[in-house]
Amino acid sequence: MPEIILKNVTKKFGKFVAVDHLDLRIESNAFITLLGPSGCGKTTTLRMIAGLETPTEGTISIGDRVVFDADRGINLPPNKRDVGFLFQNYALWPHMTVYQNIAFGLENLKWDKQRIGNRVRELLEMLHIESFEKRYPSELSGGQQQRVAIARTLAPGPKVLFMDEPLSNLDAKLRMDMRTELKRLHRDTDSTFVYVTHDQLEAMTLSTRVCIMETGVLQQYAPPLEMYSDPANLFVAGFMGSPTMNFIDGRLHADGTVSFGHLAASFKGPDGFVPEEKDIILGIRPEYIHIGPDGELPATVYSTLPSGMETTVRLEADSLALTAVVFDDVDYPVDSKVLYSFRKAAILFDKASGKNFARGSLDRPHAV
Amino acid sequence: MRKLLSVVLALMLVLGSVPAFADIAADIEAGQGLTHEELVEKALAESGTFVVYGNTSRIATAAEDFAALYGIPTESNNLKDQEIYTKLRSETGSSAADMVMIQDGAQLTDAIDEGLVLNFVPASVKDLLDEADQQPALVHQYINKLFIYNNLGDQVPAIRNVWELTAPEMKGNVIFKNPESEKVNMNFLVMCTKDEWADKLAAAYELWKGEPISLGEYKNAGYKWVAEFLANVTFGKSDTTIAEEVSQETAAGKIGLFVLSKLRSSSVLTDNLTVAQYDGYQNSYSVEPFAGFMYPMYTMINSKATRPYTGMLFIEYLMTQEGFQPWGKSIGAYSPNASIPVNEGDLSIDVWKASLVMEDAAYILESFEVEDFILQHCQK
Amino acid sequence: MDQAKPAKSRALRVLGQIRSWLSQPSNIILLFFLIALTVLTLYPLLSMLTETFTIHTGREARAARLTAGTLSMYHFERLFATAENDYSWIQFYQPLLNTLLVSIAASLIAIFFGGTVAFLVTRTDLKYKKFVSGVFTFPYIMPAWTLALFWETFFKNVHIGLKTSNGIMASVFGVYMPEWFVYGAFPIALVLGLHYAPFAYILIGGILRNMDANLEEAATILKTSRGRVIWKITLPIVKPAMLSTLLLVFASSMSAYSVPVFLGSPVRFYVLSTKMKSLMDSYPGQAYIIVGVMILFGVSILLLNQKVTNSRKQFTTVTGKSGQISKIRLRKANRPIAVLLVILLLLFAVVPLITFAMESVIIKAGDYSLKNMTLDFWIGTHLEERLDQGDSTGILLNPKVWNALGFSLALAVTCALVAGTCGILVGYGVARKRGTRLAGWVNSLSFFPYLMPSLAFGAIYLAMSSRIPWLRGFLLLSLVGSVKYLPFASRSGVNAMLQLSGEIEEAAVITGVPWWKRMLRVLFPIQKSSFLSGYLLPLVSCMRELSLFVLLVPTSNTILTTMLMQYSEKGWAQFGNAINLLIILVVLLINYLVNKLTGASIDKGVGG
Repeated sequence: MPEIILKNVTKKFGKFVAVDHLDLRIESNAFITLLGPSGCGKTTTLRMIAGLETPTEGTISIGDRVVFDADRGINLPPNKRDVGFLFQNYALWPHMTVYQNIAFGLENLKWDKQRIGNRVRELLEMLHIESFEKRYPSELSGGQQQRVAIARTLAPGPKVLFMDEPLSNLDAKLRMDMRTELKRLHRDTDSTFVYVTHDQLEAMTLSTRVCIMETGVLQQYAPPLEMYSDPANLFVAGFMGSPTMNFIDGRLHADGTVSFGHLAASFKGPDGFVPEEKDIILGIRPEYIHIGPDGELPATVYSTLPSGMETTVRLEADSLALTAVVFDDVDYPVDSKVLYSFRKAAILFDKASGKNFARGSLDRPHAV
Repeated sequence: MRKLLSVVLALMLVLGSVPAFADIAADIEAGQGLTHEELVEKALAESGTFVVYGNTSRIATAAEDFAALYGIPTESNNLKDQEIYTKLRSETGSSAADMVMIQDGAQLTDAIDEGLVLNFVPASVKDLLDEADQQPALVHQYINKLFIYNNLGDQVPAIRNVWELTAPEMKGNVIFKNPESEKVNMNFLVMCTKDEWADKLAAAYELWKGEPISLGEYKNAGYKWVAEFLANVTFGKSDTTIAEEVSQETAAGKIGLFVLSKLRSSSVLTDNLTVAQYDGYQNSYSVEPFAGFMYPMYTMINSKATRPYTGMLFIEYLMTQEGFQPWGKSIGAYSPNASIPVNEGDLSIDVWKASLVMEDAAYILESFEVEDFILQHCQK
Repeated sequence: MDQAKPAKSRALRVLGQIRSWLSQPSNIILLFFLIALTVLTLYPLLSMLTETFTIHTGREARAARLTAGTLSMYHFERLFATAENDYSWIQFYQPLLNTLLVSIAASLIAIFFGGTVAFLVTRTDLKYKKFVSGVFTFPYIMPAWTLALFWETFFKNVHIGLKTSNGIMASVFGVYMPEWFVYGAFPIALVLGLHYAPFAYILIGGILRNMDANLEEAATILKTSRGRVIWKITLPIVKPAMLSTLLLVFASSMSAYSVPVFLGSPVRFYVLSTKMKSLMDSYPGQAYIIVGVMILFGVSILLLNQKVTNSRKQFTTVTGKSGQISKIRLRKANRPIAVLLVILLLLFAVVPLITFAMESVIIKAGDYSLKNMTLDFWIGTHLEERLDQGDSTGILLNPKVWNALGFSLALAVTCALVAGTCGILVGYGVARKRGTRLAGWVNSLSFFPYLMPSLAFGAIYLAMSSRIPWLRGFLLLSLVGSVKYLPFASRSGVNAMLQLSGEIEEAAVITGVPWWKRMLRVLFPIQKSSFLSGYLLPLVSCMRELSLFVLLVPTSNTILTTMLMQYSEKGWAQFGNAINLLIILVVLLINYLVNKLTGASIDKGVGG
């Protein structure tokens, strides 16, 4: 199973830099997600690896083959890269039946009829769409079309499978189902998946590693949980997790205390952390703000968003506006008084650069 | 760049191997000395379909008869004079015309100077023609356009003097083809300003008004007549249309200046029409100073012909009584060949020549500012 | 860093870039068309420009008192600044004003008439919709001059024009129309406007059909009146389509030749195209200047059009999800409007056909009694003995007519195949490389032939061909026709390709389907009807084209339209009318067959 390596890959459209000096190593058998807001260069990156787009700069190799090298003038066409590509809009050929859609690529590989028939049937079965064999795409629902598209992509048995926001056109429930199936498919097909999405939840739940990008620049490349708990910078921290992390302007003092709003607390950093005087942004995940009678600080409920399993609470405490999550089917009257406290991890971001420079915890913040 | 281009184009021309102008000229030189039998022999030796363009519809009949007579496959095409000149400039190869029948002496002079066409006078008719009808181009026939009016109603425009056409009450009653669309019409108007005709028009004016002409802003009587004539004219689409329209029962009081031969047309109500010149001939008066105009139709060999001898043979044929028959069978066409008589009831070519305005290519060619003057009055 | 790299690596790099650039068919296609279109459109344009400075042999050289071949400003001075005999006024300024008047009026008529009908058909519950939309394209399918011819024969009377005879309106109904109604600017603009109204119908209708009804509904909910909704919401949204129509109709009307000849000459109303034609014979230099001026006008409108459609207020992509368009109920007005429309369409589209049929069987003009009728002009023989006018056999027995029909068909089919295929390829290249400079150039170049007046385009190619011996006859005609009609095909090609997402093709690229197979098996079948319409429009236009071919048609192999023009100019009205009817019927038949067999239609061709 091949490993994909991107070195120094840049793509410019005229003066616009879509991807800027990207280095990436995708291990074999990985399920990688390229994540970021629209226009961040994630789709361009995917298309460059697949060979649908030509990089301006850099090298790309799949397995032991260099498929693109700007300096050596190497550029393998997509079909020589042994990859599959699942498109956002499925790109099913409307004038062909489900069977023909899946078989068309195989005919092209000069497979004999028997073999094609077997393979198509195998895939139809695998994706539970046997009964639609003779239908045209327009006669299928969105989810069924999606399955056909997947079957078509898998048909030639590609070693690497690229997926460009494949679930964005499905409704919420169907999306949930398909995620499960995709993850299962990843295991069953035993190939490398590269997946593009702007949905952080999808990235979190599906992938073995997430590559998060903004305006063409790689922000962080890490396993999803690591990225969640230790985001490299403000951008990553803000993008991962819903509801979003609380960002609070504050100041770090040389004595190791952090002051923010009307509060102050001593910050316990990792080993070897040497505090210095500077402006910071304090990052606290909503689930680390605890609400309950055992809370230490007073706040007013601004609004609540109960969803059954959990309730997102917006608090106002003096000059601070905080978001907290309570994992229970509870609700609070608006404008009621509650007590809260900070728990567990907090991250310090350098205000000037936005970089995460310390992950630790706040010790009993108190009003000053 | 231009230079390079012309080199490339010259190369293409060479590769296209167009028969040289000089070869055809030599052929014609030789052809002029041949007897009829020798010419036939030479023509039959040429291959492919003989192609001829003519500014007359009856060329089709002549070409069919010719083809039948000699067994030479012949194709005729009836085109407008301008189209023929354009095609002579652009077409080459065996599909281009070998021979043309064409009008407008002024433009023909240019075409001869340019080397587009060559003149051929068959030995058999040399002695039967006036020198002026042989050089610089062989005249096949003369065609006349005459004042012809509708003879119905009580306002019959039976003119005896062309100045009558300039009277205010004639406005909108005179129909003529736009001189811009057929050059022979322009030539006629230009000729009116030549001293010879201007003097005659001045005299005719005096005859009409009983007082000498006062020119005002006009350079001579010709200019004045042309301007005032055009002011009264409505332009018709074609001579056939004009003939048809003037002959309508609803067209009382209208007079046209169009080809006499149109009277043959079944769509023309000939009974309703009177030719001014005929009427004058019968009632012994003449339309002052002219009853219309007359112009030659020439026959010429294309200098890029691929079948020059067939072309010469066809010219020889056209100059015979038999070859002239398609035109000669009805009125309005006159052979310069003295041995071919005019139709019964028609007037002789000499009478026409005396009473009609004839083309003078040299004068027309120099008179482009007269054309501007005419255009100005076509617009008003 | 770059400097540190060895030269060899840099060469490899460039080579690799070129190779990968060339490995994309869309790039090769665009490059090919850039070169081909430059040669086929810019070269003629440049050669025409040099003609405007060159003194030509014959009359021109003599009048300019210069030797032929000299370069000079003579033509410009003469055409633009000669006061003597009002020359410039007569030859240029007056016709220019007339041209602008007629072209603008024609555009407005086309937009108003076509737009109104489009609105009625797409947004109201109008009756007889099927008939209206079916017959509405007739005037476009018919050659424009046939409508002019009809107009004259139908309305002429003894009080106007030649004042010699009455047309059907006067002789049968006793109605005498005034001169301004029958000859001059009004009927020319009207005939051209009606002829091109289908453009407006198709372009504006296309947007109205796709427009999200929510846009109007939102305004209605805000208590805006119906009229205000149309004025403030609907009209601005169709504005780009109206501008496109303006561009198409203006450029076509400006170069229209036969309509002004038929309806203008009798009242001495001249436009640039008629002046250009008459100048072309004796003063080609000045004629080419007129062509240049006409192109200049076309290009300025094109630029204006581009500026408007490129601006932020671009609505063309407004396509609705909400399929349910609330149709305006016309209520009591429905039947009167529908009947009026049907009568108008009958008058413009059906009555002309009947008139031509009538005029092709009567012997003496103006007499519509049965004893004056004969089928001789269709199937007679030995006519020279009985009629002594025109050909000796009726048109259906005349081998020349069949020959011409065959030649016309062969030419139309060839031009349609070449132009249509090139249009698809251009569409593919432009759509795939949208936004690149190359695609922009090719897109503009492929539209450029539309702005060249047909007559002048023909003249330029004639001049070009006289220097290239092998460029002759059928080859020359098909080349000219293909280039001239490419804009239609490339428009529908680009539109059709833009509707296809790139993914549709990429899905096949991934599995290694070769390019030609992707085109044939994937792209073409999906947009089949749009693409076929890109073939149909050149086919139909070519069948009824005259001005473009008139100078180039080989004498031995004439086409139907030039034959018709010859007959018409000679005044052989009956033969002319018969051939005219034949052309229209053949074109309608082709249109019908193609439509029935493939589902392609003219409206899909223009509108995309």
